[in-house]
Amino acid sequence: MLQISDLHVSYGHVEAVAGIDLEVRPGQVSLVLGPNGAGKSTTLNAVAGVVRPARGSVRVGDLDTTGLPAHRVVGAGVALVPEGRRVFAPMTVEENLRLGGHTTAPGRAREVLERIWEIFPVLHERRRGAAGLLSGGEQQMLAFGRALVSDPAFVLLDEPSMGLAPAMVDVVVEKVGLMAESGIGVLMVEQNAEAGLGIASDVTVVNRGQVAFRGTSAEVRADASVLRAFLGESALAEG
Amino acid sequence: MSAFYASNLVLVQATLVAILLALSIQVPLRLGVFSLAGVGSYGIGAYVSANLVLREEMGAVPTMLVSGLVAAAVGLVLGVVIYRLAGLYLAMATIAFDLTVGVVALNGGEWTGGPVGLFGVFADLTMGLLFGTVVLVLVLVHLTEVGRLARRITTVREDPELAASMGVNVRAYRLTAFVVSGFLGGLAGCLNTLTRSAVGLQDVSFHLVVVALTTIIVGGALSWRGAVIGAVLFTWLPSVLEVVGEWQEFVYGLIVVLAAIFLPTGLYGLWCSARRRVVERFRPPVRPRRPDEPDVPAATVAPEHEVAAR
Repeated sequence: MLQISDLHVSYGHVEAVAGIDLEVRPGQVSLVLGPNGAGKSTTLNAVAGVVRPARGSVRVGDLDTTGLPAHRVVGAGVALVPEGRRVFAPMTVEENLRLGGHTTAPGRAREVLERIWEIFPVLHERRRGAAGLLSGGEQQMLAFGRALVSDPAFVLLDEPSMGLAPAMVDVVVEKVGLMAESGIGVLMVEQNAEAGLGIASDVTVVNRGQVAFRGTSAEVRADASVLRAFLGESALAEG
Repeated sequence: MSAFYASNLVLVQATLVAILLALSIQVPLRLGVFSLAGVGSYGIGAYVSANLVLREEMGAVPTMLVSGLVAAAVGLVLGVVIYRLAGLYLAMATIAFDLTVGVVALNGGEWTGGPVGLFGVFADLTMGLLFGTVVLVLVLVHLTEVGRLARRITTVREDPELAASMGVNVRAYRLTAFVVSGFLGGLAGCLNTLTRSAVGLQDVSFHLVVVALTTIIVGGALSWRGAVIGAVLFTWLPSVLEVVGEWQEFVYGLIVVLAAIFLPTGLYGLWCSARRRVVERFRPPVRPRRPDEPDVPAATVAPEHEVAAR
């Protein structure tokens, strides 16, 4: 289990995250919703070791990873898929994937790659093509795949639906579900409420660096006023 | 050929030294570390080697190793202090380091010979040893430009945050850049002293920063081939330009300006894109896929060499 307790992160005098608790279980999707600037990405970055938390703790299973540098957190089994995909356009799909394998045991690498091809057949189909020629959704899948190469127990997804066509959002969400089904614990952050509600086992709404609401997807849908308050009317237009 | 070789021996030696100096700037650049400290390391190597030969009567090989290691150690200390700086600020800090080495050289008393420099530095450096050393360095640098390590280096340069979140120890890579730059610069300075049997303030001057930087900008910044092309060009250009007499400096400057404007990836980059264009001409065109069409044969998508060409 990935356990985040009483997490505080500050940028200078600005407290971006002020005491967030989260739990992610293997094989389940935990969704974090919130408006711009709520501290969602900062939370993920603190878990991934990209920024140092000021207070609180992050535990992966029995291991305390609080404040470890990013490359060690990967070794502990937590992989971050940063916002905006960030694939290397001139490299091929397969080369992009191989970037992620620094911490994987050599014998395991092939097996891990097979699993990735299985979840994302489109990546296998286009493995020798330049990553820049993929569509936005396919690039997002490549970013997922690149995180999976390190054979993580948990993945942190930062706004995977951002900038994608609505049809593609559904495909990406389905892939997130498949990742969870394969036993990985997923912590997904979104502004687009509809993107993850269908697959999330629990939902946390954050605002101004603190937890504002916590419940199941059904409870969030039933209590639409909560979301409306944070995300505005348009957020639930589809729901 | 041999007459040409004998009459141009000095230029051949200068070219080999210039390749190493250019690499000492290029290697950190490839890792996204805009450090010009290689020039200061060059000065350190130049003076350390002179002292080793004059005082300890050391042979060429141990002198080269010790000079390189001393400069690498200084590079590591410098790196620990300033590796957090980025971009222009890092460049400025490293230029300050280069200038500091110059000041030390000027005021170093009998260790540096002050404004006069040190003379009579004779060691058993042969052309074969010089040539072999440069080839060895080029082979080692080449190994960092292919395969797994090359991809990691690209990631560290293009997106350090992403590299870290994929398990790459970015700090270690950046520090290594300082150490390697220091070693290569120190080695280049040592070889310069040994080939010319003298060292002076011109070996620690700011002019070297300009020379090293133009070498890799005109030659190409992302491959050792660029450093070799640039080093050959700028070592031989002055003697070729003798025909234009007093316009020499002007033509030299013009070439640099034109290269900066029209060859942003350097001469080596020009060669790569020309080769790519030829290859593409002989490749079947990529056809857009219909939605109902099954798997595309992999070969019709982009070829792998596009990455190697970068």
